[in-house]
Amino acid sequence: MDNPDLPNLTDPGGACVAITGSGGSGALTAGLILLAAVAKAGRYGLLTRSAGPQIRGGESAAMVRFGPRPLTCMGDRFDLLVGLDWNNLKRFVDELPLDARSLILTDTQGGPVPEVLIQTGASVRELPLKSIADRVSGGRLNMVALGALGALTGLPLGALEQGARDTIGTKGGAVLEGSLACIQAGYQSILSGEADAAAAPAPPIDVERWNISGNEAAGLGALRGGVRFVAAYPITPASEMLEWLAPRLELVGGSLLQAEDELASVNMIIGASFGGVPALTATSGPGLSLMMEGLGLAVASETPVVVANVQRGGPSTGIPTKSEQSDLDIALHGFHGDAPHLVLAALSIPDCVFTFQWGVRLAEHLQTTAIVLSDQSLGQSRAIVDPPPRFDDALQRRVELSPGADYRRYEVTADGVSPMTLPGTAAGMYTADGLEHGPEGTPSSKAQDHDAQLAKRLSKLQGFDYGPHWGEVRGTGSNCLLTWGSSAGAAFEAAERLSAGGTPTRAIALRLLAPLPRRDLMQALDGTTAILVVEQNQAGQLFHYLNGERALPPWARSLARPGPLPFRPGEIVQAYLEGM
Amino acid sequence: MSVAPAPTIESVPEFLVHALELEHESAERYRLLAETMAVHHNVEVADLFRRMADMSDAHASEVIARAEGLLLPEIAPWDFKWSCPGSPEVSCLDEEDVSYLMTPHQALLLALHNEIRGRDFYAHVASSSPSVKVRAIAGEMAEEEGEHVDLLKDWIAEQGPADEAPTDLDPPNMPE
Amino acid sequence: MAAVIEAVPSPTLRAKDYKSEVSPVWCPGCGHFAVLSAVTKALAYLKLPKEDVAVISGIGCSSRLPAYIEGYGFHGVHGRALAVASGLKAARPELTVLVAGGDGDGFSIGGNHFLHACRRNMDMTYIVMDNEVYGMTKGQASPTTQPDWERSKLTPHGTGIRRFQPPAIALAAGASFIARGFAGDPNGLTKLIVDAIRHPGFAFVHVLSPCPTFRPEHREWKHQVHLCRFGPTDNPAQAAQLMQEDDGMALGVLYAQRLPIWQPANHATASPADFDQEFRI
Repeated sequence: MDNPDLPNLTDPGGACVAITGSGGSGALTAGLILLAAVAKAGRYGLLTRSAGPQIRGGESAAMVRFGPRPLTCMGDRFDLLVGLDWNNLKRFVDELPLDARSLILTDTQGGPVPEVLIQTGASVRELPLKSIADRVSGGRLNMVALGALGALTGLPLGALEQGARDTIGTKGGAVLEGSLACIQAGYQSILSGEADAAAAPAPPIDVERWNISGNEAAGLGALRGGVRFVAAYPITPASEMLEWLAPRLELVGGSLLQAEDELASVNMIIGASFGGVPALTATSGPGLSLMMEGLGLAVASETPVVVANVQRGGPSTGIPTKSEQSDLDIALHGFHGDAPHLVLAALSIPDCVFTFQWGVRLAEHLQTTAIVLSDQSLGQSRAIVDPPPRFDDALQRRVELSPGADYRRYEVTADGVSPMTLPGTAAGMYTADGLEHGPEGTPSSKAQDHDAQLAKRLSKLQGFDYGPHWGEVRGTGSNCLLTWGSSAGAAFEAAERLSAGGTPTRAIALRLLAPLPRRDLMQALDGTTAILVVEQNQAGQLFHYLNGERALPPWARSLARPGPLPFRPGEIVQAYLEGM
Repeated sequence: MSVAPAPTIESVPEFLVHALELEHESAERYRLLAETMAVHHNVEVADLFRRMADMSDAHASEVIARAEGLLLPEIAPWDFKWSCPGSPEVSCLDEEDVSYLMTPHQALLLALHNEIRGRDFYAHVASSSPSVKVRAIAGEMAEEEGEHVDLLKDWIAEQGPADEAPTDLDPPNMPE
Repeated sequence: MAAVIEAVPSPTLRAKDYKSEVSPVWCPGCGHFAVLSAVTKALAYLKLPKEDVAVISGIGCSSRLPAYIEGYGFHGVHGRALAVASGLKAARPELTVLVAGGDGDGFSIGGNHFLHACRRNMDMTYIVMDNEVYGMTKGQASPTTQPDWERSKLTPHGTGIRRFQPPAIALAAGASFIARGFAGDPNGLTKLIVDAIRHPGFAFVHVLSPCPTFRPEHREWKHQVHLCRFGPTDNPAQAAQLMQEDDGMALGVLYAQRLPIWQPANHATASPADFDQEFRI
């Protein structure tokens, strides 16, 4: 290989590569094939992407990190940047940190590499990508570049070829054949003379791995949790979850109703749930704002519903295609009145399967609203992961099938959860209400009834034993990084790096945010002497929430900065050390 | 509501179903009025309507007694041969006379109006039905209704002169 | 009290058996009493098991209806009853779903859902009790109030805005059954509701229901309503023309048509475990 410092697959840190291009150059397709190839080579991988505002033909960047260990965040820098062309790269420059150890691969006919990239100190290598592509029937420049990239990072050619078959095999023989030929040619252009490497097939892998996106994982979790009805309005970046769910809901005996707006969506899932069918909707910040009244109705009428909120840059229309963790405030506090409910956050792409399934089961059993937070960086990224473990639990909706004469729908029970009758059950019929009510459901403005029902709806949540899944704790040490949701990946990696560098650090990522598992959290924080709360929003929403709940010592610090750029482990390490 | 003259009632069972419906509807309507008057704390009028409801129930029992052993047809609510949109004792026009502030005098006037219409229905059947038996029974019931009408007139007379309905000085509420 | 006469096939449930024990709080003289009566009569006539009937409503005087009917009910938030009903029907198609509301709940805040429910044509019945006022909040103008009605403090000069024409809008939005009834004609209304429930698809019943408290002038309605001179037609162009010429007081089924119904089959042929396969490398 030309650049002996370029990491290859066996490097524990793995490799971080980016492919950029525009106007249909196929950067994303190359990225998808690369991810599939990484999997065929028995490695883990993570693919994120960025795009310009055009519907098609705009600027596009695919970022892939891969290596021998599961990857839940992008690295601090890119080892290799492949430019299919250099049109308007300025849009992504912030997201593609390079340095003197990086390599830029460019086409000999691709025009000058942008000055801003040259200034990073990265080396540049030119390849006749376009002329190689032109020599192949149906040849595409991005496939040549992909082959070259594979060779540079030590991917077996066979893995690339299988990855291509898996990803674009359905596009027809000519497209696939042309692409394979280009991949081979690009590969050869790097390894000309090293015929052995070229011929080496991918080693068979004997472990099961999955290739899945966060939105798909969330959908799978929802179905596993029992969701059989979805009503939703399309919104970036949640739409892929809905697209994945629509045909599969039908297969499992349910349905997806495309609603006229988010106000309809939330009320439709209330209706289905009132009928006994677990129901979910998916949205992002602007939609969640619209749904607030409906979610409060679900809380007040004790009708289980789940909202998947795939966060994006806010406020208002914000940055729809970029990730942020700035909807925590509205998820926690967006309801009018005293409306205790559940808030959960998935910690990684595979964790979306668990967290959404758990969210559904909790909502069903506790007869309340569950807001499950994901974000664009999870939802629209793909990863090669270990198969998400099956999670079976006994949490069920408490349904009353044979109500006695004394049945009351909102009976104040010992654990606060009252059995609900379903339409179709003779006897036990009731009218659910958003109005405050007495135990039989009749509207009431009496203090006694309001107190009793408020207490019921609070105690059922606070008195429940959520078990060990409230969060994840990794590592030991008196230093602590505390975070939630998708920032967990970078925080865990930063903690490892700090510990390896002589600063023993534990990392805690919250999965259950409301009700706050205060005791578990404080137990996990026990023995710490420095805490940095890491989150991807401007206001420090988690930091203020935890302080308000008196769950943090007064010397805890906050590292809060908004999207669109993802947290990198190095950034967290640096912030932590600077604060010491 | 301009409607063509009602078709005639041809058989005793058909007539009895009409009479039963008339009394049931009347009882249910009075009971509903009693309920809503109670909810609005017009206790005297509520009691009055409850008594009217009980009277209608009693009439209904009498009709049932007359119908023993007979096979009664099922008639859809809109297929009854009334000559007015509602059943005769359930005035479709009572909105203008009903108010939570109505006096017992006004309530009795309402009941009187309805009983007269009931009597007139029976009288109409007694004179127009092609069936001799129907005419006979209808005639009897018209007479009985006539007695109830007279009874009501007596009650009204006992009430003395009509009072003005009081005005409510409080503004309306906004319950939701 | 049922007509219990031996050896007679009579309905076992009368209308009042479908009425719950909760006393309505409507003002005496309110037209909604007649609507309640008509709904219960319709349910009794159709012999529907009470537990298979669900009445969904929003907010307003009309929306209090579910609590007064013996069945399952959902008293939701303002304007969203059609959405709740749609979700329920999609998940539980075997239920008879009735939606109740007023002119504000249905045509103002609920307007968008009204349009799309007409389009979607799910099998349910929507009864709007139109009293041309917001009764629950002390008498503001509603979308069906005349532009020169000056009795609301919110619009002391009248709204100055032309009225909604609910049947015309329903027709344009694709409703497959449109009828108008009058609280002063409870038996006629009963028939309309029976027809509406029987109609396969979205049935819209627009009921003129007087408000004695805030619109005492509605007592004139009984002199103004008349049977519809043309209906029912299944020709949408003809119906559109006639509805534009409608004086708003024509009673009966104005339009009825068989159109495709939206209803998922809810038939399972797989389970979630079957989807693991598509992610495996």
